[in-house]
Amino acid sequence: MRDRFTLFLRPASLALRVTTLVGIAMTVVFLVFNWISVRSLERHFAEMDQDELGVVSASVIRALGEVHSGADETALYHAVRGHHGVYYYVADAAGNTLYAAAGGPDLSRLVAHNDPVDLAGKREMTIWQEDGKFYRGTAVRVEGNAKGGGRTYVVAVAMNIGAHLAFLGSFRRMQWWAASIVMSIAILVAWLAVQWGHHPIRRTNAEIRKISSSKLDLRLNPADVPIELEELVASFNDMLARIEDGFVRLANFSADIAHELRTPVTNLTTQTEVALGQPRSAGEYREVLYSNLEELGRMSRMISDMLFLAQTENDRGNLRLTDVDLGELVKGVFEYFEAWAEDRRVSLQLLGLAGPVRADREMLLRALSNLVSNAIRHTPLDAAVTVKLVQDMSITTVTIENPGERIPAEVLPRLFNRFYRVDPSRQRKDAGAGLGLAIVKSIVEAHGGFVQVRSDDNSTIFTIVLPSPRGRDAV
Amino acid sequence: MKLLVVEDESKMADYVRQGLMEAGFIVDLARNGLDGHMMAMNERYDLIILDVMLSGMDGWRILQAMRASGVQVPVLFLTARSSVDDRVRGLELGADDYLTKPFAFSELLARVRTLLRRGNAPTHHDRIQIADLELDLARRRATRAGRRINLTNKEFALLELLARRRSEVLPRSLIASQIWDMNFASDTNVIDVAIRRLRAKIDDDFEPKLIQTVRGMGYTLDIPDEG
Ligand SMILES: Nc1ncnc2c1ncn2[C@@H]1O[C@H](COP(=O)(O)OP(=O)(O)OP(=O)(O)O)[C@@H](O)[C@H]1O
Ligand SMILES: [Mg+2]
Repeated sequence: MRDRFTLFLRPASLALRVTTLVGIAMTVVFLVFNWISVRSLERHFAEMDQDELGVVSASVIRALGEVHSGADETALYHAVRGHHGVYYYVADAAGNTLYAAAGGPDLSRLVAHNDPVDLAGKREMTIWQEDGKFYRGTAVRVEGNAKGGGRTYVVAVAMNIGAHLAFLGSFRRMQWWAASIVMSIAILVAWLAVQWGHHPIRRTNAEIRKISSSKLDLRLNPADVPIELEELVASFNDMLARIEDGFVRLANFSADIAHELRTPVTNLTTQTEVALGQPRSAGEYREVLYSNLEELGRMSRMISDMLFLAQTENDRGNLRLTDVDLGELVKGVFEYFEAWAEDRRVSLQLLGLAGPVRADREMLLRALSNLVSNAIRHTPLDAAVTVKLVQDMSITTVTIENPGERIPAEVLPRLFNRFYRVDPSRQRKDAGAGLGLAIVKSIVEAHGGFVQVRSDDNSTIFTIVLPSPRGRDAV
Repeated sequence: MKLLVVEDESKMADYVRQGLMEAGFIVDLARNGLDGHMMAMNERYDLIILDVMLSGMDGWRILQAMRASGVQVPVLFLTARSSVDDRVRGLELGADDYLTKPFAFSELLARVRTLLRRGNAPTHHDRIQIADLELDLARRRATRAGRRINLTNKEFALLELLARRRSEVLPRSLIASQIWDMNFASDTNVIDVAIRRLRAKIDDDFEPKLIQTVRGMGYTLDIPDEG
């Protein structure tokens, strides 16, 4: 299935990442530690050996002094005592072997290969292998002096360091073992820690699973999760809120349509059934058809309005933006309603000026004409509807004001809802569906603006606020 | 004038055909996309009314096939969705006009007549005379029974529209869109008021009454039938 295809493409699991990282870090730390400890151990052994060889060569040199002062050369045999696995060799300046310890390495080669430094000089240590054994050794040159009786010798000393090396080897092995065990434990613990650390994620997931379309009101509690997940949970809640909003809107939308269609459909059905209930004259039938036609006209207008509303609310990007001259637009609206307004003895006036706004002309025209027609309808005789244009730096405001009865404050927030009418009875002949203001709102919001309404005892004012082109550029 | 209606919803198709026939057209009906395509390609029509959602072959493909093979008949398409995309797509494919369902038959008829007129050589009248009503289009003057009638610009435009389309029923929505550029339905009786005012000027003091109300549909201007 899909999971299998994505297996190799998806990012590595968090557990794998953390465990790998911990493993790599542990390995590096161990290698460094290991290197340092082995090195210092080696240095420590080297120093020990050096000290010992120093002591040995000093004894040999002292024995050489005794030999010279008449003592038997056998003194050299006893020169070094109590040192185990230590070998020495003495030659004269010409390279003739004066003494060579039995059983040890061939130290004459060491003398030949190295330029024996002065006793006072620093003694270079050499490590070599001979007959399967490891030795460390050095050679010194003892210049003739009063103590040495004027003869010059070369003294080479060496010791078997096999035991040291064996110790180092076992130390290394032990360290590797210890490290492997510690590392395994560490990785295991890291893995467990990750699993444990992921527990809140799994728990959150279980909670998310509980959220179904019927329980969209559920929210996760950001305080219940570790701090790292808090933001994620908050974003998730936000998303849920948006989905719920859309979902509820959609549900209401369908419910609204069904509800609003019920009345006209009932009217039509009743009317038609009654008309067909007994034979009638052609004129009477025609009357029924006319009346049906009117009702149907209202229904189809309502459906078109609903569709328009659904569209503007859904794809807000679908505006055909041009530079729209608001003054000219309002004049067009006035021209359209002029005769009708005059008939109702309402006059129309336009105040103020505004530069062009970026807008969908057709839509803005529709919004304005909805507001102006509402205003005319609610204006008492011999009064005026006033449209005012005001341009600020970043916004353009259009206010539509009409004198008239106060709209109760408690219904103001619902005025822009679909199908909301202050007086819901369908008494008035030209009563609308209550979609006009909802359409106004969705159009203005699609343009990035907003609408407001205020109402007091004297007048009602609707305000459209639109971003001005310059203001919008700045954003 | 011969029209082809391609519509697969049978009730709607029947009534549209009947309505158009009663309005004086010869009407062929295709009840699915494939028939519609065949008929559109093989016969000559003056106009095709094309539903977009069809079984067999959708309206877009029929339109595309027609235009691709050089059939230049005007096409009016009917769509259930009023989304901008649909409209743009239809017009790009070479449709001449569209109507969104639900629509009124009077609206359809008015659009059909507009499209058919567009095809003919435009008749350049300088004046129109109907009974004793005379319109001087160049000087934008109207006289009735020799008496000069004072009309506002919009009133003259309205009268001109009615006169040019004499005896056609003009729905209110069409009047609003042609005269005031308001391309959406309004809940007001603005058009009725405008017509009433026009009547007061050209009909009230004269006989016969020329502007007639077609109930439930719109207005028409013509010399009334005797009796
Ligand atoms: N200027 C106004 N003064 C007082 N009340 C108003 C005004 N404008 C709107 N209203 C109230 O707000 C309600 C909703 O208006 P809206 O335009 O949405 O619907 P409508 O005009 O009834 O119907 P439609 O516009 O869909 O034909 C109206 O029924 C009316 O009661
Ligand atoms: Mg309204």
